[in-house]
Amino acid sequence: MNGWIGRCLRVNLTEGKHQIEKLDTDLLEMYLGGRGLGVKVFTDEVDPNIDPLSPENKLIFCSGPLVGTGAITGASCNVITKSSLSGGLACAKMRGHFGAELKYAGFDMVIIEGQSEAPVILSIIDDRVKLVPGLEYWGRSTAETEELFKKNLDDSWMARETYLVSIGTAGEKLLPLANLVNDRFLSVGGAGIGAVMGSKNLKAIAVKGQHSLQVADGSRFVQVINTLINKLNSAPLTSQSMSQWGTAFLVGLCYQKGILPRNNFRSTSQPLKNIGIEALNSAFALRGRGCFACPIACIKKADVKYSAFEGKGMVPTYLAIGSLGFNCGISDLSAIGVMSMLCGEMGLDPVATGGNFATLMELVEKKAVTPEELKIDISFGNADSMIEAIRLISTKKGYAKRLGQGGMAISESFNMPEIFMGVKGLSLAPFDPRAIQGMGLHFATCNYGPHHLYGYTFIDELLNVHENLDPLETQGKASLVKRYQDTSAVVDSLGLCNWPLMGLKFNNYVPMVNSCLGTNYKADDLLSIGERIWNMERIYNMKAGFNMDHDTLPERFFKEPVPDGPAEGQISHVKEMLPEYYQLRGWSEQGEPVLGLEE
Amino acid sequence: MPRIRIDHTKCTGCRHCEAACSLNHVANTVNPRRSRIRVMRDGNRYYPVIAGPFVDAACTSKQYIVIGDQTYDMCALCRASCPQKPYFIEAETGIPLKCDFCGIPPSPSCVRWCNTGALELVED
Repeated sequence: MNGWIGRCLRVNLTEGKHQIEKLDTDLLEMYLGGRGLGVKVFTDEVDPNIDPLSPENKLIFCSGPLVGTGAITGASCNVITKSSLSGGLACAKMRGHFGAELKYAGFDMVIIEGQSEAPVILSIIDDRVKLVPGLEYWGRSTAETEELFKKNLDDSWMARETYLVSIGTAGEKLLPLANLVNDRFLSVGGAGIGAVMGSKNLKAIAVKGQHSLQVADGSRFVQVINTLINKLNSAPLTSQSMSQWGTAFLVGLCYQKGILPRNNFRSTSQPLKNIGIEALNSAFALRGRGCFACPIACIKKADVKYSAFEGKGMVPTYLAIGSLGFNCGISDLSAIGVMSMLCGEMGLDPVATGGNFATLMELVEKKAVTPEELKIDISFGNADSMIEAIRLISTKKGYAKRLGQGGMAISESFNMPEIFMGVKGLSLAPFDPRAIQGMGLHFATCNYGPHHLYGYTFIDELLNVHENLDPLETQGKASLVKRYQDTSAVVDSLGLCNWPLMGLKFNNYVPMVNSCLGTNYKADDLLSIGERIWNMERIYNMKAGFNMDHDTLPERFFKEPVPDGPAEGQISHVKEMLPEYYQLRGWSEQGEPVLGLEE
Repeated sequence: MPRIRIDHTKCTGCRHCEAACSLNHVANTVNPRRSRIRVMRDGNRYYPVIAGPFVDAACTSKQYIVIGDQTYDMCALCRASCPQKPYFIEAETGIPLKCDFCGIPPSPSCVRWCNTGALELVED
């Protein structure tokens, strides 16, 4: 088989057994792999009404067909489960080298079922699948786990080629904010997945293998990739901005357009010193770190220097800077770097964690709770106490128990649910939906909560790469959102990254896909696969209890206009755009997909 | 004589060169273990190592090199495949591999795909 391996590993942790299954070729062509195939298998096998932390829930790791073949940015592995934070589907995207190594280990997909009695690590090394006792790793940070596991392999050559995905202490304690970490990168969009892995008592998965991947037309494939690399190099965003600073270059741009939220989405333009590219350069010594086969290398390593903490870590991404930093009133980049690094060590999702603390800070400001009651002086702009709080929440001891329950649970426990800035139980990614209307519509309708990962509308709305659109305009945004949502579903399913869309058109991917897989897809065929995946996810979420009432934004964005900055006076127009969006998707007026759309 | 110059400070560890190499040597197949260039990692540094000649005996002592704040394993820096080192050996046949400047001239395939400038073709 070309691209795909065609094998799936099913591990039952309750019985401690595993079996290897063949994947159905028709399914692979209909759902591609990665997100599409994972969601298909998950929705077929798991009841929508189960408790996410029960043994009935399953955890699916699925690499796309282009992962590991050398296709540009073909590196990502998707993790699908029922989220402990939202109760609907969750789909995280793991970058780095894990996805490719999973393919070399001989599997497209790993399905984890049941619940182990004692902590274990699943090791898939050179065709030997076994469950290693994990008690000595329990309670360790993600970096320590990786180091210790490699040391225990007792073979430095084997250790060099082994890649791990693990949960930190946050996942072990079933914290709803917990995420997965692989190769020291946090997975994106994975809030709530760490807790599911923790509930199964699975500390980590290690993979290594020697299987070869087949490509349908090697010489054509090489040619196509040569052209794509040249195209990426001639586009300014992918060759300069992303390569040099990573996603953090968006900070200054979003600030200028009034999109960067501040103090729990209540302001966008209080005077901020030290943001933007120059500040990044002086705060960190930057060094690129690439995911498998990525010519852009947007992830940056850095030496963090801060009074409370010193060490090596990743430069915070736009998500971390926006959520953990500016939305909590903190603009000291070194402090944000420390927080983002702590999140990586403990396996916390930066967006969910930032939203959690922003909610808590507004509660304190509105005097719903006093710092004395919380036993920690948490307030907007107080970086040191926030670093302390991030350290505390994953211990979940005593008073720290109340701090990390997720924004929605915290705001409800103080009877002020209106101050939680999130949709479907998940915190908003740091884009103010009043100043960027298309993104607002995407946040309201996204199956996985308000995260830009599943619909990159800002490529056209903010960066104006393919089309020159005004972010405040609502005309034509419904079709833009639909197009980007479908595109992301396909790109995720193939196992590619969305960032090259800053330099490439979606059509440019098509020859790469066909020469690799030996198929005859056209761009429209791929997009209709994306639509099929989106509808399938929507139907599952509706069975799990979501309906059109959840397709909305927090009331603040409809009632309170932006108080200052370039987008002053704007409110969100999501409600006006929704009927058009439903119509474009072919759904009923209540937002229900008509039967048969998922087939 | 053209040579491939390696600038490890530019390497991002993306291993695109490994994929390029194996695609060029084994028809329609990608497998970093069959590639003649491998990216090694020590701490925060990445450095590509290109396969050199095979030696049939291992060194008698293991060496470490300290450059700056980083300690490197000499065996990982070494270009030879030897009985001690399971790299640069064709898995199925056991035949040792060596770089042959493959691909479309003037650039070997790994240099073509390296986008950061860590691998460069120089004339000396």
